[in-house]
Amino acid sequence: MNPAFIAAAWLALGLLASAVLRRQTARLVAIVPLAGAGLTLLTARSQAAAIPLGGLSGIAGLDRTGEGVLVAAALSLALVLLLQPSIDVSVGRTIGVVGASATIAMASSDPLLTALALTAAVATLVLRWIGQSPGRATLAAGRVAGTGTMALVAASPFLPLTGFTTGDRPIVVAALLAAGVAALLAVYPLGGWAAGIIGSLKPLDVAPWLVLLVPVVLIIAERIPGGVLGDGSPVFEHVLLVVGLGSAVWGGIWAAWGPGAMRYGRVFMADIALCIAAVEGAPVSPAMTGALIIVLTHLCVAPILLRPESAGLLWPRRVAWALLSGVPPSSTFWGRLLLLEALAAGNVGSTIAAVIAMASIFVASVMACSGRALPAPGRGWRGRLPELAAWLLLAVGIAIGLAPQSLTRFVFGV
Amino acid sequence: MGVSAPLLSAAGVIAAVVAMMVDGRRAVPIAVVLLAAGLAPTAATFGGAPGAAVLGTAAIAAVVLAWGGWLGGRALPWLSGLNPTIPAFAPSDRLFGPRSARAFGAAVAIPVASWVSFNVPVGQITAVEGLLFPIAYAWTCGVIRLLVARTVEDLLVGVAMVGIATGTAWLLRSGGDSFPGAVLACAAAPTASFLAGWLHGRSSRRASPLVEAEA
Repeated sequence: MNPAFIAAAWLALGLLASAVLRRQTARLVAIVPLAGAGLTLLTARSQAAAIPLGGLSGIAGLDRTGEGVLVAAALSLALVLLLQPSIDVSVGRTIGVVGASATIAMASSDPLLTALALTAAVATLVLRWIGQSPGRATLAAGRVAGTGTMALVAASPFLPLTGFTTGDRPIVVAALLAAGVAALLAVYPLGGWAAGIIGSLKPLDVAPWLVLLVPVVLIIAERIPGGVLGDGSPVFEHVLLVVGLGSAVWGGIWAAWGPGAMRYGRVFMADIALCIAAVEGAPVSPAMTGALIIVLTHLCVAPILLRPESAGLLWPRRVAWALLSGVPPSSTFWGRLLLLEALAAGNVGSTIAAVIAMASIFVASVMACSGRALPAPGRGWRGRLPELAAWLLLAVGIAIGLAPQSLTRFVFGV
Repeated sequence: MGVSAPLLSAAGVIAAVVAMMVDGRRAVPIAVVLLAAGLAPTAATFGGAPGAAVLGTAAIAAVVLAWGGWLGGRALPWLSGLNPTIPAFAPSDRLFGPRSARAFGAAVAIPVASWVSFNVPVGQITAVEGLLFPIAYAWTCGVIRLLVARTVEDLLVGVAMVGIATGTAWLLRSGGDSFPGAVLACAAAPTASFLAGWLHGRSSRRASPLVEAEA
């Protein structure tokens, strides 16, 4: 199946769901990502990974890793929707557009098409966020993330760099690409917008960015230095290494000391910043496997931790935080160990920064585990379903910790 | 006949400055039309008549889609409105208001665009250097407009400016894919225009007492 058809299905189902469903049937919005995941499984797999540094071309196709990321993210988003206490059906539109854009961006080796797909996703998210909560934080998302996608659009006329690998052109392209990636992944100094939206919006509104868009952008960013960037390669890698590590430390500290309601978002941002720093700072290393383990763990725990604390699931939340703490044999322990191994091969400064970030995340996880939310037990078997789903997700999370590389290979093929 | 680079640059710079300053309900289509007109000589120099036609079509599409979006936003009954011209924050009566910040940004964009023009060659087959100034200036102004945005309308004007500027840059790079690339990049401008019109239509519908009574 062609990725363009999968994207069209995401879009059509999203628009249909938001137009047709009503409050009583709102939970059926989960069909949109479920159908997206199902169709992605049927895609005609490409042997080579799509690196968006080529000329103008069609959609190259999804490779095994891209397919795995999209399927896992779509399933996680479906579970986020199913575990929410209440759903606004209009979110179906946003999910449809973001899912379609993520599919196109992941399957395209054309920088302009990738950039425009990401622009469509960000524009849809920003319009929803501003509509839900007009204010400084949501407008900042439009300003910064919008500028990021525009930087990617601006880099497109200068690509491919074949024959122009030295001089200022590759450096300008690398700077534009790094700015775009940093803005979309909300890496500091371009990450304040994400902290703002996590604090001011409902978790369901943040979920399409957090669960669907961030893993896709992370994988695309990991692939960029594998293309022809010439003199721009070190610029791209070093910029993202430095800002990623700084962002991880900052995010980790704020996760530990900041308000409890924003803790998961901060931990997620710190982990993603660590991943981008490691995969760019040490490209030929176990960093990618570590990053994939961490992404997979977050996709498992996000449906639980994005559910409001007041809506119950006290013990599943505690176990989810334990999985994020980095204590062995949790999956994040192996993921962060691989990231640390990769960063340690670079220089001692990177290692120290990564250790500080990981220690902060551990403190944040312990503080979250010790929180005392009022348990809200469900009545009857329907009330128990979220709890059952949460424990099943946690079982998957624990399994990732017990066999990290096997499960990562099963999902992502690497 | 040689091309007067200063003349091309002047047309693009004037258009970008006006697009940077324009405000109000029709800001996006006005910015797109002006920028397309200002960059059309550059596009025609490198892309010939088809190059100028791309920008012309983008401008016409922006006007038509803004109007279509406005009509659609007013007609569809199941949507609530978000007025794209209402600032999300910041008082409007400050000494250095949004236009002052944008004027400052437009001034800052000159050395940036100048550096890009003379140091970054564009082109796939033969590198073109020194003629990127109006495009780089329009792009920088678009990004600055995005960064200092206070309203959704500002964001959409910024996206439209970057779209038109990138489309023209695609025409400069020449080669087989320059024309489709320009079309794809320029498509961002009419889309932004449609969204602005759509949002205005929705918000004006909400403000209408007749429609309120019907609801």
